[in-house]
Amino acid sequence: METAQQGGFSFDLCKRNEFFAAKGVQHPGFTKTGTTIAGLIFKDGVVLGADTRSTAGSTVADKNCEKIHFIAPNIYCCGAGTAADTENVTGMVASQLELHRYATGTQSRVVTAMTLLKGHLFKYQGHVSAALVLGGVDFRGPHLFTVYPHGSTDSLPFATMGSGSLNAMAVFEAGFKDDMSREEAMALVARAIRSGVMNDLGSGSNVDLCIITKDGVEYLRNHEYLQTKTYERQFPQKFASGSVPVVRERVYDIRRAVQVVEGEPMEMEVS
Amino acid sequence: MAAALPVRASVPAAGQAVKQHATWSPYDDNGGTVVAVAGDDYCVVAASTRMSTGYSILTRNKSKILQLNPKCVIASAGMQADQETLHKVLHSRHVTYQFNHRKPMACPAMAQLLSNTLYYKRFFPYYTFNLCAGLDDEGRGAVYTYDAIGSYERVGYGCQGNGKELVQPVLDNQLKAASPLALPPQQWLSSLPLEQAVDLVKGAFVSAGERDIYTGDDVEILIITKDCIKTDRLELKRD
Amino acid sequence: MSIFEYNGSAIVAMAGKECVAIGSDLRFGVQLQTLATDYKKVYKIHDQLFIGLAGLGTDAETLSQRFAFKHNLYKLREERDIKPSAFGQLVSATLYERRFGPYFCQPVIAGLEPDGSPYLCGMDSIGAQETAKDFMVAGTATDSLLGICESLWRPDLGPEELFETLSQALLSGQDRDCLAGWGAVVYVITKDKVIARTLKGRMD
Repeated sequence: METAQQGGFSFDLCKRNEFFAAKGVQHPGFTKTGTTIAGLIFKDGVVLGADTRSTAGSTVADKNCEKIHFIAPNIYCCGAGTAADTENVTGMVASQLELHRYATGTQSRVVTAMTLLKGHLFKYQGHVSAALVLGGVDFRGPHLFTVYPHGSTDSLPFATMGSGSLNAMAVFEAGFKDDMSREEAMALVARAIRSGVMNDLGSGSNVDLCIITKDGVEYLRNHEYLQTKTYERQFPQKFASGSVPVVRERVYDIRRAVQVVEGEPMEMEVS
Repeated sequence: MAAALPVRASVPAAGQAVKQHATWSPYDDNGGTVVAVAGDDYCVVAASTRMSTGYSILTRNKSKILQLNPKCVIASAGMQADQETLHKVLHSRHVTYQFNHRKPMACPAMAQLLSNTLYYKRFFPYYTFNLCAGLDDEGRGAVYTYDAIGSYERVGYGCQGNGKELVQPVLDNQLKAASPLALPPQQWLSSLPLEQAVDLVKGAFVSAGERDIYTGDDVEILIITKDCIKTDRLELKRD
Repeated sequence: MSIFEYNGSAIVAMAGKECVAIGSDLRFGVQLQTLATDYKKVYKIHDQLFIGLAGLGTDAETLSQRFAFKHNLYKLREERDIKPSAFGQLVSATLYERRFGPYFCQPVIAGLEPDGSPYLCGMDSIGAQETAKDFMVAGTATDSLLGICESLWRPDLGPEELFETLSQALLSGQDRDCLAGWGAVVYVITKDKVIARTLKGRMD
């Protein structure tokens, strides 16, 4: 019976799936974001960065996915791990914070987002596998956190996560300074992500950046677009009509028989 | 001295380590893709040059092709150490053959030798995925594909390694692998002109490089004709 | 064996210029034994929106019914057909609800938005959405299909070219997969008509 959704997970297929597993069939792999994500605090705010590759095993599932998620107008969050988990956990926190803003009329704080995230992740004991770099600016200034899948958190001046975290961290350790300018900070984060893109096979494609200051957000989707194809076919394959054997064809005309024309609102008599 | 040692109990006492299975494997997959296409009077052999393990790139420039003589090459993907050893063995067998017979080994003979070499290690196989390619005695292009333990077959085109699933249907689509059951029986050899075959191979590698994380950096392309072996190179994405 | 390989399937969707196409193979089998050769894996939600469900057959059918049900409720509430992008969210939410006991299904959604622009999206079995501008694949032959689509797809294909390209990709891709095949069905969706064609393929 389909009932109104109460929210939360449904476990009704677990028994059946356990039975499958006992019969020796494997559970499927999920889409992962192999990922290089990074962030740092500069003079007037926070810069977040991410690559754009998502993988399923050794094949690339998506060449240009978005890993910097919206949390609040002044807070964004990079996600690594199981794609569905990062997507949903950030979405849930974003909606909770939006309701909270409606209720209180105040700007969301980065620590609030961090606490909601770690609360959720800790509750699921690492089974919701999201590794996050959370950054934002609130009335207390810029903040940067890393959140691990089990719910532990760090507050850091610069942070990296994902399979390319070591590549990115190497760049940060070499180049990070306190109170960098906006341009310096953007260049350093982009370079950190690029080192993940080039040297880590789980990360790839392009570089996304997100710069958050107290005056606003600049989300630079494909700040560095690195991935044009290196070769164009000289004899590209073109197929003439009828190149495949068709045994049956049906055409459904779906133009509406009835056209609905919006009418003018009727004038009301006021006597 | 042995007598002085206490006899070990068959059930380990608490705190004593239980014998664990070795977590170490003698095999590693270093990735890569190799492709070969035979024509009426040529053979194109190509291999990606990235060598990797896990999520790391070990080098961006590792040739996977062994040129034995102007009519026969062997391309191997898989584990680098086994590939190197296999190539060394085949090279030395080829040198010995030339001393004994005063001529380089023909491609079909080398194909059989590779099969034997692989089957010799039936129960501890070389972790390599091979293609033997070149020109046969009539000067036609020849490609042989193998499994890891020496089962082989002459085909019109073939691919091996990590990107084989991605490349194979692209080659099928253009070179039309007619079903062996289709009547009348069709010729298996592609009759593409040489430039089109090279273009096809390059296109297939670019596609594989887009989607396979282990295929990238460069492609080394050998074009074997009756006069010489020409080398070409194509850059792929480096991410 | 993976549970995705129990019945076998191959699904491709491609975007063109003001049109989209989605196709699937026709085989239904239990592991290596073929049971039926007229089993479509693409379901119609409404005239401008189709969903392909790859993976375990029983879950695909259950899900297709749940989506039909949910779309009926949506129509009662909203008095209009659902937008493909909204339907993508609905499918994603439905799958993520079962994060720890998933349906063994990978959906591919293809449709035209109300403004006539193509919408394509795919997901893993727990609803990690992935929107693409070019093509989307799912099933047991994903690698083969990805490879061939990557080299055949070009931007701005018209409905007829799109049909030929998708069909060639689907047939060549599934020929290398022993769990999918036996012909195919392809739907080309344009603003004012839907063309459904059944293709002949290798029967082995």
